[in-house]
Formats: sequence, C-alpha cells, structure tokens
Amino acid sequence: MTPTVVRVDGLTKRYGSFTALDRVTFDLEENRIYGLLGRNGAGKTTIMQLLTGQLFPSDGEIEVFGRTPAEHADVLRRMCFIAESQRYPEDFTAAHVLKAAPWFFENWDAAFAERLVADFRLPLKRRIKKLSRGQLSAVGVIVGLASRAPLTFFDEPYLGLDAVARHIFYDRLLEDYAEHPRTVVLSTHLIDEVANLLEHVILIDQGRILLDRDAEEVRGTASTVAGPRATVEQFVADRPVIGREALGGLASVTIDGRLDQADRVRAAELGLELAPVSLQQLIVHLTGTDLAGSTEQEAAA
Amino acid sequence: MTAVVNAPIAQSTSRVRPNEIWRIVRLHAVNPSVFFGVPWIILGAAWIVSIVIAMIIGGAGAPEDDIREGMRYSWAVLSPQWYLIVVGVQAVAYTFSFALGFGATRRDFWLGTAVMFVFVSIEMAAAIATLVQLEQLTDGWGVGASMFDSLWYGQQGWLVDFYATFALQLLVLFIGAAITTVYMRWRIRGMLILTLSAIVLVLGLIALATFTESWPQIFGWLGSIGIVGIFSLILGLAAVFALAGFLVIRRATPR
Repeated sequence: MTPTVVRVDGLTKRYGSFTALDRVTFDLEENRIYGLLGRNGAGKTTIMQLLTGQLFPSDGEIEVFGRTPAEHADVLRRMCFIAESQRYPEDFTAAHVLKAAPWFFENWDAAFAERLVADFRLPLKRRIKKLSRGQLSAVGVIVGLASRAPLTFFDEPYLGLDAVARHIFYDRLLEDYAEHPRTVVLSTHLIDEVANLLEHVILIDQGRILLDRDAEEVRGTASTVAGPRATVEQFVADRPVIGREALGGLASVTIDGRLDQADRVRAAELGLELAPVSLQQLIVHLTGTDLAGSTEQEAAA
Repeated sequence: MTAVVNAPIAQSTSRVRPNEIWRIVRLHAVNPSVFFGVPWIILGAAWIVSIVIAMIIGGAGAPEDDIREGMRYSWAVLSPQWYLIVVGVQAVAYTFSFALGFGATRRDFWLGTAVMFVFVSIEMAAAIATLVQLEQLTDGWGVGASMFDSLWYGQQGWLVDFYATFALQLLVLFIGAAITTVYMRWRIRGMLILTLSAIVLVLGLIALATFTESWPQIFGWLGSIGIVGIFSLILGLAAVFALAGFLVIRRATPR
C-alpha cells in the first residue's frame, strides 16, 4: 500500500476566457519521481503553482498531505517549489538564498548545499539578476535538492544547464533520493534528458492530461512499424495509430499498445521492421511534431 | 489501495505562529542594506549638502539665526521617504513571491512584513528624534545648519519628534506595500481602478470642501489638534493601509 501525497480531482484554472487547466485529475504517491511533461504553455507550471497554494483553482479539488494547500502552513512547510521564473528579493544573491533556506525547510542540509554550489560552480556573491540562465537554474536545483522537502518540485531544472551540470543534477538527485526518499515532481519539455530518471509520467497538453502512466509501462507501449506502405497498413489496420509518416511507397506507423510474440512473428513474416519508441518520440506523437525541433535546439544550446 | 498521508498533521497548527512570522522578518533583513543601509546613505548625503549650504550662506556673511530660520523649510530630513516607499513596493513585489516559493503563507508573510515595518519605523524615529536634539545642542553642527530641526521637528521635544517620525514612516512603508498587494491580486486592471478611484475621491473631497467653503474650518481644526493630533491621524491612516493590505494579500498570487 503506497500512501498518496497529492490528490487532484477535476482541477480547472481559467484566466478570463482562457482555460489553462481543464478538469485535470491525478494522484501522486509517496516517494516516487514523477515527470510532468508537456510543451511550453501546456499548464505544467500552473499545476505546480496550484499544488503549492500559489494560485487558487477556478474549480475542482486539490488535496496535498490531506488538505487544501493554500494558506495552510502545515502543508506548505513540507513542500519546496522554486519556479523556473522565480522572483527574488531586490539585490538578492545566491548566498542570501542559502542563508534564508534553513529557516523555511526543516530538513535543510547546509553541507549538501555547499557541495552542490561547488559542483555547479555557482557564484554566491553575484546578484541573482546578473546570473546566467544556467546559474539561475542551478539556484533552483540546489534549493530543491538540499531542502529535502517531502514533496519537491523542479520546474524546468535543465534550462540553460550545460551537459556536465545536467549530469551532476541527475547523479545527485538519484543519490540523495536513494538515501532520503521523497516525492519529486520534475517538470520539463526536455524529455530525453530525464527519461531514465522518471518512475511515472504525466503528460499534459493544452491544459488536459494525455497520459498518466508508469514510465516503464510507457516505454514498452508504443512501437514503430516500418515497411512497404500497403503491408504496414494491413498490419496496423485494427490497432490504435498515434503517428504516421510516409515516403514514397514506404510507411512508418507508430502504434499505441504492446505487441505480443505472435504479432512480432507475423511482422517478421511480412518483412516489416519493428522499432521501440522512446519516451520523447511517443510524446512528440501525442502532442504534435513541433516539440522535437524545439527540444533538440534547446538541448544543444 | 492508497491512503492519503495526513496522520502527522491531523492536529492543526495554531493561528499564531511566532516562528513562521519571525522568519519573514529575518528574510527581509537578510540583506540589511535595503532597510537599514540605503536610507542612511540618502540621509547622510542630504546632511552633507545641508552643511555645505549652511557654510556657503554663512561664508557670505548671513547671520546664523537667519540661516536656521530659512533652512527650517528644507525637506532634507524627509529625503529617505521616497526610497522607503519603493522598499514597501519591493517587499511585496519581489519578497512576497520568493516567500511563497519557500512555503510561507500569505498571512504569515504580511504579519512578518508588518513587524519589520514597525522595527524600521522605531529605528528611524529614534535616530531622527535624537539627531534633532543633537543639532539643537551643537547649534546646527557648528555652522548653523538646520536639517533635522525643521518643518514640524524640534518644537515639542524628543518624544513628539519620535512619535511623528514613527507614524509617518509606518504610513510610507504601508502605502507602498498595500498598493502593491492590489497589483499582486488584480494586476494592471486593479491598479487602474485603484488609481482612478483615488483621483475621484481626492477631487471629490476638494470639491466638497471648496463648495461648502469649509477650508478655514479644516485648517483651523488641524491647527487645534496640533502636531500630535495630526500625526495620530497619519498613524490611523497607516493602520488602515496595513489592514487593507492584509485583506487584499490573502488572495494575491505571485507573478
């Protein structure tokens, strides 16, 4: 039996006529790593702001540690959420942030924070305003890790981080998570970077949940079938198709659902190629193709 | 089946949370120059300018009594107030968003901020009231300058000067903070409505007083309640802004 730390039911957030979140329902269980995935503007940050009581829902229910989060100190003190666009007090430096953190997070580990500062080469005395995008992300990552809050949110932690820093985050999170289990929610549109970290995936697009599944399960669910167009079409005829590409007489079709042994044998007999679909590819298929391009660009940057 | 984790927080925390409120005070003070440094740099610069002006006038041969009388109308003693309005604005515009990210409640944030404002006001009031006394004792810092002993200061002793500065300081800080809560809750639309309503209200009061020809009575009444009376009104106004800010910030959202 796994305790549930977050329960969200029919959660809706409207801004005037714009619906940022549309009747979203999900649960988060204790001590797992969740990926809150989706394109820019999908509603990821809105969900996290609602869960941490920073926003008020237009409709629906939120329970975090058994209570509505907004204005409940006993719930809020068990969470840590440094938003990607977090504002800091005027003239604040990273040193100020780290000095204040232990007053707010009872499990704060100052030694761990110091080690992370060295790992990420974060300049402590420089004003936050003057930090680069990657250094700003590092501030959020360091606070998120060292706070050891029972429910920790990382909002686009990879934004602007170089390859070494991304690797450090990955390693430190897994190390520390093994020693101090907690519930982690990681929002990102750089999916391949975090795919191996995630235990559960919640995919959101245009304010709605498209997918809410165990990551292991997601990895196995979709396959790409490639070969002569007519043969491929025949093979996928009564299967749920989530993506279709064609080039001349050849086609490559992505189907949702597991292929069993008989399917594989049949595909081989028909001369079709089967390929697994990565988490990122699956999500691209589910949310549209623009994501692939933007992700690669940003990962390279 | 799953169960919601709620056992450890079954007992609700008290509505008065000294630790949660105190940490907001510390958060405001973690970079002490904002509240305690810059105001004194501004005041110090104004002081140097006042001394130099007094020396120039003195050097030109004007009698010291005339210099002091003329400088009574200098507003140099109020120079940090403009900056402190901005500090009030920034406390809500920036520190509020940050405190929410660190898991503070809006209620604790406002109470902690109010405590900080009271501390700053006491500090400014005690210092300025003392500087008025010093200026009087040293005959205007030896050159007949009259920066602190000006306007309503220096007339009824240390305690009245303290009270006046305290009330004015609280009003300045709470005006900045409370108006910003309107922005944090209703954004630009709220600010426009607030500004327009304030203009209409002020113009309306002016029109009312003018058409009823009651300006002499108003000034007469203000004169009769004296410095302490007027600054009690200001302190009351500060309390109104403090309460309004508290009510508005309870549903405010960070940017």
